[in-house]
Amino acid sequence: MSAASQALFANRWLPVLLVTPLALLIVVFFYVPIIQAFYWSFFLERPFGGGSIFVGWANFARVLADPQFWQAGRRTLLFMVVGSSLAVLIPLILAVAADRAIALSQPARNVLVWPKGVAGASIGVVFAFIFNPFVGILAPLNHWFPGIWNPGIDGTDAFITLIAAHVWGGIPFNFVILLAGLQSIPRTMHQAAAMDGAGPWRRIFDVQLPLIMPQIFLTLVLEFTESVTSAFALVDTMTQGGPGGATMLLVYKIYTDGFAGYDLSGAATQTAILMVFVILLTSAQFAFLGRRISYER
Amino acid sequence: MNAIDTAIRAAASSIALKGVTKSYDAAHQVIPPMDAEFRAGEFTVVLGPSGCGKSTLLQMIAGLERVSGGAIVIGGREVQNLEPKHRGCAMVFQNYALYPHMSVFDNVAYSLKVAGMPKPERIERVEAVARMLGLSELLARRPSQLSGGQRQRVAIGRAIVREPGVLLFDEPLSNLDAQLRHDMRLELADLHRRIGATTAFVTHDQVEAMTLADRILILNKGRIEQFDTPKAIYHRPASVFVAKFIGSPPMNVLPVTGDGSVLRLADGQVVVEAPLNGNFVLGIRPEDIVFGTGGPLKARLRYREDLGSHSVLAADLAGEVVRVATPFGVDIAEATDLSLSFPQARLHLFDAATGRALPGAIGAQ
Repeated sequence: MSAASQALFANRWLPVLLVTPLALLIVVFFYVPIIQAFYWSFFLERPFGGGSIFVGWANFARVLADPQFWQAGRRTLLFMVVGSSLAVLIPLILAVAADRAIALSQPARNVLVWPKGVAGASIGVVFAFIFNPFVGILAPLNHWFPGIWNPGIDGTDAFITLIAAHVWGGIPFNFVILLAGLQSIPRTMHQAAAMDGAGPWRRIFDVQLPLIMPQIFLTLVLEFTESVTSAFALVDTMTQGGPGGATMLLVYKIYTDGFAGYDLSGAATQTAILMVFVILLTSAQFAFLGRRISYER
Repeated sequence: MNAIDTAIRAAASSIALKGVTKSYDAAHQVIPPMDAEFRAGEFTVVLGPSGCGKSTLLQMIAGLERVSGGAIVIGGREVQNLEPKHRGCAMVFQNYALYPHMSVFDNVAYSLKVAGMPKPERIERVEAVARMLGLSELLARRPSQLSGGQRQRVAIGRAIVREPGVLLFDEPLSNLDAQLRHDMRLELADLHRRIGATTAFVTHDQVEAMTLADRILILNKGRIEQFDTPKAIYHRPASVFVAKFIGSPPMNVLPVTGDGSVLRLADGQVVVEAPLNGNFVLGIRPEDIVFGTGGPLKARLRYREDLGSHSVLAADLAGEVVRVATPFGVDIAEATDLSLSFPQARLHLFDAATGRALPGAIGAQ
């Protein structure tokens, strides 16, 4: 321990003591379940406890041979790509507008942050109501074109509803991050570009976007990982995976397999696969995107 | 001389300010109506303390700030309502404002790219500018890999590559250390001699103004105090403000009273014979004061700064601090009495109420 850190803490156990509560939380609610999931994925678990049998890779073989797993995987991927892109793109547009200090941007800046305080499940309930085919905002559409919008019956409509709710919930955080990035661009940078002849639109693409690449990258990485897991609350409150499995994302399938079907080993195996996938995805993002954004201001 | 020099010399346009005003709100005018002409091909320095409106003036010429009234005419064309890109101005910013995500080449070439110039021509133009500024080896680097002086040169290259009619500098040297600032000053002077662009250069540093300018425009609270050559400004300051702003150390100014035959200091000592009545401000440069035994004015030495080449003495004279520059390193104990004399030919007289110079009243004017 260096002299400086010893100067901060007179008692060497004090820092350990301060970190313990958080460390305990992370271990109990994150690392232990993960290790448990990986462990169970190699065993056949009895649904109500009481013994397990080691089966090697048999669980993986079973899951990977299951067409429903692949279907849920494809849907998760689609949800992730479309949902995350929109959840970054829309806040980006809003942030550029707010940064331009267009009319009403000051109140808008505050209003846009509020959804951050709303829990995923609540968003689900609200959106289920908003997109309700009979009383929601799209209800008039059904009045003119009967049957065109019904997330309760049409799988595509349900999926769109799910993505809309996810994007809405993702706007505040990404908006704040991106706006902070835009506002950290010095004014003279805009002025220099204006002197160089670049108009406002051109400046967005040549100056602003390149300069907030670190922030865009951060929001994308967080969105990609979050869209895989946080979709659970939305699916659970809005569609329960329906209609006809159209919104059965992997996280929700894991939940139904494990806690409704009591296939604990299958659910654990899928959890393990999902986790490895997210880790690989994030590493790939850092490898391919992260390298291209490194520059000093 | 290469193609760029010639093109810029040919493009050099005059800037005329006609009743230009700027106010951010109705109650407060940052710049009251101003008339001035920056001649084509001249190096004009806009000099003033911080908050005098000099940067605002430059930004209005560039088109980065709107004028609140009046007209700006560049090269015979009214531009006050045009976008910056249509005014034919280029600008070097205080913090350089280089694009951190672009290479030096791309930074310099950006305006050409925006203007839609074909790539081969772009490369040729950037390389010519790079040769001129000694940047040829650095074209592939990012701004973060450059030193302060190199960044400065890239910023200048970015400005001149478009062959602008007007080159604007917004305190470009204030971020550099003393040695580099000195070197860049010489480089800028040299560059101006070569390319002959109409240049407006904003600074609060009088040394930069004196050494670089063909003419200096001195601003105080948005008003022009004086607009003249460095020599005229130094030797014939038009106001007390200018007198106190220019020179290092600046001119001494002392309140005097005329009784019709002589001007007296506050303590009654007679400075000079003059048939004037009323209150005035008398100015004399530290280097013009004759110091030695036998002078008529009695002062008391407060402290001495020995600068090697010369000393600056600060003395109490009639309740004011008077600075005297002596060309040799004299050894005088502090708190001794000094005898000074003010040669009449070196005196400047200003109106006590308005602060404006009274040329021809006595002495130098």
